[in-house]
Amino acid sequence: MLSVHSVSKRFGGLQAVLNVSFDLRRGEVVGLLGPNGAGKTTTIRMISGYVPPDSGRVEVDGHDTLSDSLAARRALGYLPESAPLYGEMKTADYLDYRGRLFGMPRAARRAAIDRVIGRCWLGDVRRRRVGELSKGYKQRVGLAAAMLHGPGLLILDEPTNGLDPTQIRETRALIRELGREHSVLLSSHVLPEVEMTCDRVIVLARGEVRADERLAELVARHGSAEVIIEVSDPPGGPEGARRVLAGAAGVAGVARVERDGQQPGEAGWSRWRVAVETANGSGRDLREPLARAAASAGLVVRELRREAVSLERLFASMIVSQPGDDERTTVHPAADPAEGRR
Amino acid sequence: MKTFLAVMGRELSSLFRLPVGWIVIALYAFLTGVIFATQILRPGEAATMRQFFGVAGWLLIPVAPAISMRLFADEARSGTLETLMTSPVTDLAVVLGKFGGAAAFLIAMLAPTLVHVGLLAAFSEPRPDLGPIVAGYLSVLLLGMMFLAAGAFFSSLTSNQTLAFLASLFFLLFLLMVSLLGGYEAPVWLQGPLRTLAIAPRLTDFAKGVIDVSHVVFFLTLTGWFLVLTYLSLGSRRWR
Repeated sequence: MLSVHSVSKRFGGLQAVLNVSFDLRRGEVVGLLGPNGAGKTTTIRMISGYVPPDSGRVEVDGHDTLSDSLAARRALGYLPESAPLYGEMKTADYLDYRGRLFGMPRAARRAAIDRVIGRCWLGDVRRRRVGELSKGYKQRVGLAAAMLHGPGLLILDEPTNGLDPTQIRETRALIRELGREHSVLLSSHVLPEVEMTCDRVIVLARGEVRADERLAELVARHGSAEVIIEVSDPPGGPEGARRVLAGAAGVAGVARVERDGQQPGEAGWSRWRVAVETANGSGRDLREPLARAAASAGLVVRELRREAVSLERLFASMIVSQPGDDERTTVHPAADPAEGRR
Repeated sequence: MKTFLAVMGRELSSLFRLPVGWIVIALYAFLTGVIFATQILRPGEAATMRQFFGVAGWLLIPVAPAISMRLFADEARSGTLETLMTSPVTDLAVVLGKFGGAAAFLIAMLAPTLVHVGLLAAFSEPRPDLGPIVAGYLSVLLLGMMFLAAGAFFSSLTSNQTLAFLASLFFLLFLLMVSLLGGYEAPVWLQGPLRTLAIAPRLTDFAKGVIDVSHVVFFLTLTGWFLVLTYLSLGSRRWR
């Protein structure tokens, strides 16, 4: 559905994207992840044809985005970051305009508008001006416009940005559903979102692909699945507890966790963050060995849970390990003058 | 062609959905009305609208930039330019559609002044000569299209409407200066080109009822050149 062949883009002295390649199969939902300035938006703009790559090429549904640009654009539904819309237009009029831009005949346009208004829960605001809508509604109008012409490939740049928790849940469910008919490339900062919606993730850092694999594998390789445990203090005090926990199999390190970073915690109890020994099967679940170790030492376990890996931690572990990165700047350039002013 | 019409229709209807469109129409109708009532519709005067077209033309200097300033600058600011340029629409359809929408708005703005023609015809004896009136409207239309094309170009250079407005305004004022001074102050080698650029003598010919093909070609050529510049400017994001 989409193939990106080693595209690069440079803005002035800054290499925004370097030799990025990946593919999307039909019906696949892929997350494009990376810290700010990683080149996500530039990559997306090269796919959408808004900026051409300096080298390399992009094919959407078999159409080259430069030599067969109009056909490539027809196969693509694109929701840019912050969902830009014409504030003075009404929701239905805006969708109708988008349909006309994609050359849809009147009857098909009407049917499609009814369909996307239903799917994006826009029935209430059909006749309202887009400029008066809340951020969440605007985002959904943008999403509706992107999927209006039934494109094979949907590119969504941070689609849940600015939505409230209910809308985020609904939007994620919708994206999941859309994945059955369209291929979806989704850029996001939010790990749970990616976990819920994406089959596969591509991690960009400083303009290069750092990973392209299933999220579970990525987490297993890079994210240390840590365990938080709270136990009663043995006669030796908290130090004794530390020795007990560190003795469990597969434990790489144990660190004291202060409650909320300031409260010293209840007397007689202590909380610990236990890291996994990466050499011997990373991502292993340490809860059981820890519980056993605590029980055999006579400690009472009051809390025991795995700590979810945060995206930031994942990025950090992937990016830090790359030599020669430090002299490069991570400031992302504005790809067009408008962005800088926004 | 269909996408051109879609872009043009949106541009035109947007002007009517925004306060700026109505303000421009109201001001233009008011000012031209004042001229008509005080200068044209006077007992004993000849039934001609000559002075009216002079004012109607030069009034476009502040009015046309107000229409054209939004064309590209506003879309660049809001980011909708990105959704537009990634739709299956050619750059040419975008430029012509936006210009066409602005030109259609210009016609909508001129339409109410036809009332003046009706009044003049109703109240004057003998009837006014229609030739100069048709030529006068043609001249205002050609002049307005040229102004709008220049404004579209300046709008495509920036994402700031105010800047686009000021740049077009200063450019049009410069054209006016050239017209008024006639280039006689300029060095000899510049006088020829400046006199070619002078607009006032051409408008005078139109007001007389003379539709000179060379004048029509002059305005259309300038309009075309500004549209070409706009087209190039719009495509420049690809190599900038």
